[in-house]
Amino acid sequence: MSLIVDHISYIYDQNSGIPTVGLEDVSLSVPDGQFIGVIGHTGSGKSTLMQHLNGLIKATSGTIYYNGEDIYEKGYDLKKLRSKVGLVFQYPEHQLFAETVFADVCYGPGNLGLSKKECELRAYDALRRVGFPEELIFTSPFDLSGGQKRRAAIAGVLAMKPEVLILDEPTAGLDPKGRDEVLGQIKKLQQEENLTVLLVSHSMEDVAKYVDRIIVMNHGKVFLDNTPEVVFSHYKELEEIGLSAPQVTYIMHELAEKGLNVRTDVSTIEEAADEIAAKIKDRMIQN
Amino acid sequence: MYLKTYLNYRNFLMGYKMDIVKAKNVLYEYIRRDDEGEVIGITTAVDHVNMDIKQGDFIAILGHNGSGKSTLAKHFNAILVPEEGTVIVDGVDTSEEDKVWDIRQNAGMVFQNPDNQIIGQVVEEDVGFGPENIGVPTEEIWERVEKSLKSVGMYEYRKNSPNKLSGGQKQRISIAGVLAMKPKCIILDEPTAMLDPKGRKEVLSAVHELNKKEGVTVILITHYMEEVIDADKVFVMDAGKVVMQGTPRQVFTLVDDLKSLRLDVPQVTLLAWELKKRGINLPDGILTSQELVDELTKLY
Repeated sequence: MSLIVDHISYIYDQNSGIPTVGLEDVSLSVPDGQFIGVIGHTGSGKSTLMQHLNGLIKATSGTIYYNGEDIYEKGYDLKKLRSKVGLVFQYPEHQLFAETVFADVCYGPGNLGLSKKECELRAYDALRRVGFPEELIFTSPFDLSGGQKRRAAIAGVLAMKPEVLILDEPTAGLDPKGRDEVLGQIKKLQQEENLTVLLVSHSMEDVAKYVDRIIVMNHGKVFLDNTPEVVFSHYKELEEIGLSAPQVTYIMHELAEKGLNVRTDVSTIEEAADEIAAKIKDRMIQN
Repeated sequence: MYLKTYLNYRNFLMGYKMDIVKAKNVLYEYIRRDDEGEVIGITTAVDHVNMDIKQGDFIAILGHNGSGKSTLAKHFNAILVPEEGTVIVDGVDTSEEDKVWDIRQNAGMVFQNPDNQIIGQVVEEDVGFGPENIGVPTEEIWERVEKSLKSVGMYEYRKNSPNKLSGGQKQRISIAGVLAMKPKCIILDEPTAMLDPKGRKEVLSAVHELNKKEGVTVILITHYMEEVIDADKVFVMDAGKVVMQGTPRQVFTLVDDLKSLRLDVPQVTLLAWELKKRGINLPDGILTSQELVDELTKLY
């Protein structure tokens, strides 16, 4: 069990006249190596929750355990927590600043007090792991394409060797191929290195394609927490809270209504195509 | 002047639509320099592009990151001026420096990040900022603010602070701000990239309304293929050039070509394409769930 969120609540502006509830009684456990999608409309509390996980925001009540230790305990090393639970913000390329990509990626491990050599080894390794083109390592981050900048920024967090990687909308503004490349690479890291990944996303299609589990946030609470199949079967409730299911889910439901006995708990294109093709061929044989 | 009026009238009678934006052989290069200011390279961002956009059309521009679509769009309201070739917006050449403000009034631009575009403390002030800036009489400013906010469905929020609105609402305020300038054309550069699904829908339907009801020409740049299916015409860019153009149906039939340009097709089109690969007989260019379901039900 790597991360346990135990009944946390968070209230903004507690001392002002108008306190606002950011999170309300949220409990979760995040086992090692899981790929979790976090969805919810703007302002639903998903980013606030993510910032609790590496101690950037302290809960008003409740606590968080990381590898069995209470992170709010006096004397707990939050700096170490932040290197173990890496957070990649939205548009992380806005935070690239060094003269070369390599120097930028070295910056994080440098802050951990590691030797120069160790930092460089880690930076090189992180850039390789995100599939960053080797010939561009010593160019300025400002000369890169959108997708390359995004990878460089993610490498900067990976160089800290986190056990948990939190990504807030890592594909916003990327072209379709760039989205697939970035998420495909992250999926590969999760599978090959048993990295735990939390992906905050507005794209139901991306979430359906990559994650094992979905947490749906609404008004600061966990609204649903289950497999993509189960979560997307609640598509009507999802619509009520400003979300939706992937488009293929709707098509499956419609076909089922029109008398084709397809499974409706399908949320990716591949699965849907297999399922529809199989059922239509069955029908053709029967006729 | 008389001639133009006459031509307009004649075209109207003959059913022609006027060109609102006409790009002819547009070339634009970025010069990259090192710290000492020495030139280290030249990137051709827009490479001899020709594009005719008719008044009242809904146009989409697709292309991967760095394909030149945003650089091209910046030519449509004279943020950039071509090095070679010409851009004519509503009959005015964008290289005429003293006409810049006329052009920007006629062709308004909405960008990706709503937070960078809103300056007012109250929604209606923000929307009124543009017309106030060009000296529109107060009475008329209020009329324009009301009309613009109503047309994006945000009138009931006119007294609110923009800070408390959702991303989709903020983008609709940005669009209202452009509308208050009474433009003939609105250019949106990835207006939904930062929005949740609901916000995306709100913005898209507001833009379609403007196009249909007010006849405003729309030029939409996006990475979401689903947002393009109702456009009149789609242009696809790569390496600064227009490499494909046609109706959404024509363009989205070319699944492999689009994928090789780092793009994609709408989810439904992709599903139909995957089904065809599995031996299911479907026509090309299916764009909506309805079409797909109808075609499939014919088969069993």
